[in-house]
Amino acid sequence: MQSQLSDFVVADASRCIGCRVCEVACAVAHNATGKEHPVAGNLDSPLLPRLYLVRTPLATAPVQCRHCEDAPCAASCPAGAIRRKDGALVVEEARCVGCKTCMLACPFGAVELVPVYAQGRAVMQTVQTEDGGVCTVSPVMVAVKCDMCTGRQAGPACVQACPCGALRMAAVSDLRRRRCAQAAAGLAKYVTALHPEDGRS
Amino acid sequence: MNGQQNVIRIDSDICTGCGRCKDVCPVGAVEGVQGTPHSIREDVCVLCGQCVQQCSAFASFYEQHPACIAEKKRERGLFVSEAAPLFAAWHTGDAPRVASRLAEGCHSMVQCAPAVRAAIGEEFGMPAGALTPGRLAAALRRLGFDRVYDTNFAADLTIMEEGSELLQRMEGAGPLPMFTSCCPAWVRYAEQQFPDLLEHLSSCKSPQQMAGAVFKSYGAQLDGVDPRQVFSVAVMPCTCKKAEAQRPGMEHDGVRDVDAVLTTGELAAMLRQAHIDFAALPDEPFDRPLGSYSGAGNIFGLTGGVMEAALRTAYELVTGEPVPCTELVYVRGGEGIRHATLTMDGRTFRVAVVAGLQHVRPLLEAVRAGTCDVNFVEVMCCPQGCISGGGQPKVLLPFQRDEVYAARKAALYRHDAELACRKSHENPQVQALYREFLGEPLGHVSHSLLHTVYGQTR
Repeated sequence: MQSQLSDFVVADASRCIGCRVCEVACAVAHNATGKEHPVAGNLDSPLLPRLYLVRTPLATAPVQCRHCEDAPCAASCPAGAIRRKDGALVVEEARCVGCKTCMLACPFGAVELVPVYAQGRAVMQTVQTEDGGVCTVSPVMVAVKCDMCTGRQAGPACVQACPCGALRMAAVSDLRRRRCAQAAAGLAKYVTALHPEDGRS
Repeated sequence: MNGQQNVIRIDSDICTGCGRCKDVCPVGAVEGVQGTPHSIREDVCVLCGQCVQQCSAFASFYEQHPACIAEKKRERGLFVSEAAPLFAAWHTGDAPRVASRLAEGCHSMVQCAPAVRAAIGEEFGMPAGALTPGRLAAALRRLGFDRVYDTNFAADLTIMEEGSELLQRMEGAGPLPMFTSCCPAWVRYAEQQFPDLLEHLSSCKSPQQMAGAVFKSYGAQLDGVDPRQVFSVAVMPCTCKKAEAQRPGMEHDGVRDVDAVLTTGELAAMLRQAHIDFAALPDEPFDRPLGSYSGAGNIFGLTGGVMEAALRTAYELVTGEPVPCTELVYVRGGEGIRHATLTMDGRTFRVAVVAGLQHVRPLLEAVRAGTCDVNFVEVMCCPQGCISGGGQPKVLLPFQRDEVYAARKAALYRHDAELACRKSHENPQVQALYREFLGEPLGHVSHSLLHTVYGQTR
């Protein structure tokens, strides 16, 4: 039985300024060409981030995968393309058939379908059209989502890039214990204030 | 606006109002409320492009319609085929215009600023600090430029003129301290904020403009062409250089010194458009005579570089002897302001190096108050000098920016150290230019071609 909950990257909306540098860093970290010092001019594909800045009248913050314990995306994937790897839920793009079931299943909108790029061009597939079997081409699309930069030595690129410290790894495995400890400390003060005659401090 | 176009802009469709451009602007030219699109005050902006380097709000693949992106690329002066993302802060582009002029078959001459050769490799996947002068010359030749010259040559020329001007002022012929005039963003700032101190600026044109003026006089003469037929292009790490080329006074007999300015990023885009594989090019030399340079000219791309180059020559002019140590590390500044002194012939020279426009105001206030005892000041708008200019390859990961700038810096110092000739006055082609064409520094021909008056509005 798994005893540890999966961590995930979470944004603090009170700190986020909406600069999108997390999206840039994410897209660059997942750019397959692996350039040492990527600059804007030498990208081989559009910026395709795996976390998404959301701006509403109430809050501005990026949203990304929660790495759910009973992940609906993984459970619904007919190709078995979403698996656990080093504590993260990861899409194995080679297995993905682009059916979009995971997009429908995700309660956070954290999964996106994107074109596959190779050597600066979108990879195309030949498909049958419905009007009489004429072949045409369309880009190969696969599901992508936050993989917490699994294998990246410095950890998630978005966390490293955020200029406001608005992104951090949510260490959830001891969250209940820490919250309970805070609550107990609070209760102790409250109860002491209510019953000073007890003479206990 | 001195007749200059607004080179730096913010796209309100893309800007999220995060305010990071506001934080990085050295002159407080960006305004706007957090969370709503920002805008630039044209009367304050010095066009340095630091906001362009900083901006990370981009047109998302998931949100924008491709047709709209193509339209924005045309508006920005980009090739529509370019894959680079569109960020909210941008500078106007000239690459398509230059490409079509070259295709028309004019007599073209191009110059390259020192910082370009220490950074353009990054646009082709080479590591930061890759030093590529030879490939750069080859690439410009492949693009079809008839003469592949170098701004470094004009940097050496600037030292001859500016150094002579300084020594003349030291003899009482002008106000001190004398400020450098190489950085157009700094000149713009001085014109906007301290017009009463403009006589402290050197009257020298910047190396870009000196090169253009020499191309269309001496260079045209060498090639036997009419200066009016010469198309003069500059490749620069700087966005303000685009506006500088359009300044009043940057012409001679009605012929503009520089017709078009490309940034490092734009040159890379032209090479991609022409399917030239930069990393695979062989090393080729720049054309002579106007492409030869010393190590001193090359370090103009760094903060403290103009000062170091000037002192290497000034020491020899004053004392008649070579400077004891060529590497004047004490003027190699970083952020902020650095003061140094140098004793020459029993006299103490006081110099200051300012890196980052936000640091220059106290010094200017002291000049105004008459309490500044410095003789010569170098001012560069951008934090590390031109290697960190607004037109350089845009580093996508902000936490890499410092190491990339350090690598570019090290590359230029390495290049200086590797060159046999390291002092401007020892550049044989500069000596020949004076012998055959200019006569002497600050002479009549120099004055009309290489000097200007700052503060002109038209």
